[in-house]
Amino acid sequence: MLKPTIGIEVHCELKTNSKAFSPSSNTYGEVPNKKANVIDLGYPGVLPTLNKGLLDLGIKCALALNCKVTKEIFFDRKNYFYPDNPKNFQITQNNTPIGTCGYVEIEYDGKKKKIEIEEIHMEEDTCKSIHENDYTLLNFNRAGIPLIEIVTKPCIENEKEAVLYLENLREILLYAGVSDVKIEEGSMRCEPNISLSDSDKLGTKIEVKNISSISAVKESILYEIERQTKLINDGVKLKEETRRWDDKSKTTILMRVKETGNDYRYFPEPDIPKVIIDDKWIEDIRKTIPLLPNELRKKYKELGINDVTISSLIQNKELSVVLNELIDMNINPVLSANILTGDILSYLNKKYITFKESNITIDNIKDIVNLLDNNEISSKIAKVIIAELLEKEGDVSTIIKDKGLKQISNTDELVKVIENILDNNLKSVEDYKNGLDRSIKFLMGQIMKETKGQANPKVANELLISELENKTKL
Amino acid sequence: MSRYLDLSIKKINEKLKNKEITPLDLVNECFDRIEENKEYNAFITLNKEEAIRFAKSLEDKEVDNLLFGIPIAIKDNIVTKDLKTTCASKMLSNFIPIYDATVIKKIKEKNMIIVGKLNMDEFAMGSSNQTSFYGPVLNSKDKTRVAGGSSGGSATCVGMNMAPLALGSDTGGSIRQPSAFNGIVGLKPTYGRVSRYGLIAFGSSLDQIGPITRNVYENALLLNVLCGKDEKDLTSVDTSEDFTRLIGEDISDMKVAVPKFYMSDVINPEIRNKIEEVISFIEKNNVKVDYVDIDYIEYSVPLYQIIALAEASSNLARFDGVRYGYVTDKKVESIDDMYKYTRKEGFGDEVKRRLMIGSYVLSGKNAKTYYYKALKIRKSISDSFDEILSKYDLIIGPTTTDFAYKIGEGETDAIKSFTDDLLTIPVNMAGLPGMSIPVGYGNNKLPIGMQIIGNKFDEAKMYKFASYIEKNFEGGKLC
Repeated sequence: MLKPTIGIEVHCELKTNSKAFSPSSNTYGEVPNKKANVIDLGYPGVLPTLNKGLLDLGIKCALALNCKVTKEIFFDRKNYFYPDNPKNFQITQNNTPIGTCGYVEIEYDGKKKKIEIEEIHMEEDTCKSIHENDYTLLNFNRAGIPLIEIVTKPCIENEKEAVLYLENLREILLYAGVSDVKIEEGSMRCEPNISLSDSDKLGTKIEVKNISSISAVKESILYEIERQTKLINDGVKLKEETRRWDDKSKTTILMRVKETGNDYRYFPEPDIPKVIIDDKWIEDIRKTIPLLPNELRKKYKELGINDVTISSLIQNKELSVVLNELIDMNINPVLSANILTGDILSYLNKKYITFKESNITIDNIKDIVNLLDNNEISSKIAKVIIAELLEKEGDVSTIIKDKGLKQISNTDELVKVIENILDNNLKSVEDYKNGLDRSIKFLMGQIMKETKGQANPKVANELLISELENKTKL
Repeated sequence: MSRYLDLSIKKINEKLKNKEITPLDLVNECFDRIEENKEYNAFITLNKEEAIRFAKSLEDKEVDNLLFGIPIAIKDNIVTKDLKTTCASKMLSNFIPIYDATVIKKIKEKNMIIVGKLNMDEFAMGSSNQTSFYGPVLNSKDKTRVAGGSSGGSATCVGMNMAPLALGSDTGGSIRQPSAFNGIVGLKPTYGRVSRYGLIAFGSSLDQIGPITRNVYENALLLNVLCGKDEKDLTSVDTSEDFTRLIGEDISDMKVAVPKFYMSDVINPEIRNKIEEVISFIEKNNVKVDYVDIDYIEYSVPLYQIIALAEASSNLARFDGVRYGYVTDKKVESIDDMYKYTRKEGFGDEVKRRLMIGSYVLSGKNAKTYYYKALKIRKSISDSFDEILSKYDLIIGPTTTDFAYKIGEGETDAIKSFTDDLLTIPVNMAGLPGMSIPVGYGNNKLPIGMQIIGNKFDEAKMYKFASYIEKNFEGGKLC
């Protein structure tokens, strides 16, 4: 039977301040060609510089993906003519990739699997070409933006593994603070290669480019498996080729056949001296890596947070960062997590804003959780306060004071309210006598209504029962 | 016409300080001399209007350094903002840079006056200045002969004293060989001594910009201006010193090595004899001289053909007609055709030949057979030099194997431009500083250059030695 083997190459833009080999700024979406200098234009006489931020993020990425960091690195030139390649060579790493022999762990059907990473290397991006009618426009803002290329071994067996690998990889890179990994904006690009074989020998490799979402990776893999299976069964001998995913027709379209393998005439970049990466450098970078998603999941679980909330937190890195801060301040983690992934998250999603952009602050949440934790407010009041703070900047104690929201735990005060309610609801008292428990629910509702929700539910409940007992004894 | 430019820079400086003359006088005289010697074809572009404007603007300024107001000419592969920079190629015949090379900035900071851009071999590929799109430069001592190359314009300019100072560049001998052919002083500094930012690259791991001057002292003065770490060039090194500081000191007790390779039968006997005369002269002055072997230097020329040309094939790939420079007029069907015709029409034969060789040695399996092997042997050459220089202060020998030859000679010999550089290339391979100074003339009245090779960053010692020869050796005085 034909068995698919899949490898994936991922390119990610690194979140440095400036470009890889020039001091131009690394920003997306500016006015075309405003973020390009003579180096990015490949002007005669220019030389590359080397951004230390590139090396730091390269090392960080290697560590986050469990790679061995290469201690002595240099860059290479990859020579090919193309209008989006200003020097007609790209500065990349061919001989000494920054990281080797890493892995990303995935889990499905209850099984864990390590997707092996062959190597990761740093390189510069090309221009963005915009093809119109019979001409092409070039935007040099992208030229020289630092990229990391992550290459797996051909060890992925199906589309499910591919998707899980990409999702996990994306989370790791995001959490490590290496890249924005926005696939739609092109800051993460995925290129799977698929081959089919009925033996241990790998089949003919077909590479697919131009994929703009993880679900399209899945679709393209399924499409290629089907297409190649049919061709092989029809007795067609496949050739190594590069195809393009077409999102409209949901098919792959031939871009080019690899005739004899590309001749990129690689050689060491003479303008950038070797870089020695010592243990101290590596350890300093290791210290800057926060907990990565798998470690966070474990930590949250141990704190008693439920699975649904955990996955909601992991998917929203910003909230997870907020939660970690609260945990560090010794604030109740379960209550904090529930608040963050509840009303706050739905508000942020509705308004398309980040936590930082909203009016509510970490201190606000700290105050609310502490009040809840000490039973000083009910979860209902907490909701009211949160809604208020999301709309307008404020202070929890002021809101409570202004709105008179403080919980009533004072027994005398509550007894008065309860007596009053029982006097006005003799039917319910009668019901209670006859063993109808739902009357308690009704009476509690009345108490809450009367106290505008401020009655401490636990205290009120106890008092109500003892008052009812007194009354039925009479 | 005034002849102030015949004076030493120190003298000119005194006159400027005393307000006896103005920078404008110097610039006017300079352009008169260039005009007078037009047939030598040393310049590609003159910067007359701007130079005059700038000279006038200097009149009210304080003469604050020795090179203030001194005219200088620049090899045309060093980019100058708003001043056409052609690399002597059709490919860049219309190219006006939008930035200044680091060395140009430094020259401007010293208020030196750039008078124009100098002829050269196309993209610095050649050793007789005959590959220039703008035609050959004539030798300043015999106009039927070549000026040498690739900095031929620079050497003839200084040799005729059209301008007292010039910048050249040296990848395999391009400063030293034309300096020897024209009887002047040219230095290829230690690799990394001078920023290459703004030098249109040929062989990046070998290229260095250097001063070409009438005498040793002025050479050291100009190097003072050029050197230093540049954050725009990662291969540049943080060194700053006064290179004139040892000039005038005694050379006795120095130890000098003469490689046997440099005194072989391949060298014209008259040149060899002249070097031997220098050797006996310095021995008389208590310098210890030994003949030595330097392992692997005989492989320098083939190594150069691999390393320099491989790097060039990549460095020159950017000339494709897309962003600047020449672009074909042909109506083309595809981008590949545009590249093809632009490069076919824009580059001369020698450049194309070298780009093809360079692409070949990097192609597929060849990279391992040629390029990576060459890098290994290069390291061995460098180690051999280091070993000798750990025991000796300097290495000396002839700069060239022969005298400047007739224009047109050797044009059909594709290998000649490499063998011309037999004695200079090893220095680039090892990244060492190398200098050529005149030590006399042959019977044919053509100058002979002696090469002085120093340890890395040991230029001050080379200047001391060179200056001693210049002052005290009979042959040296002739120039």
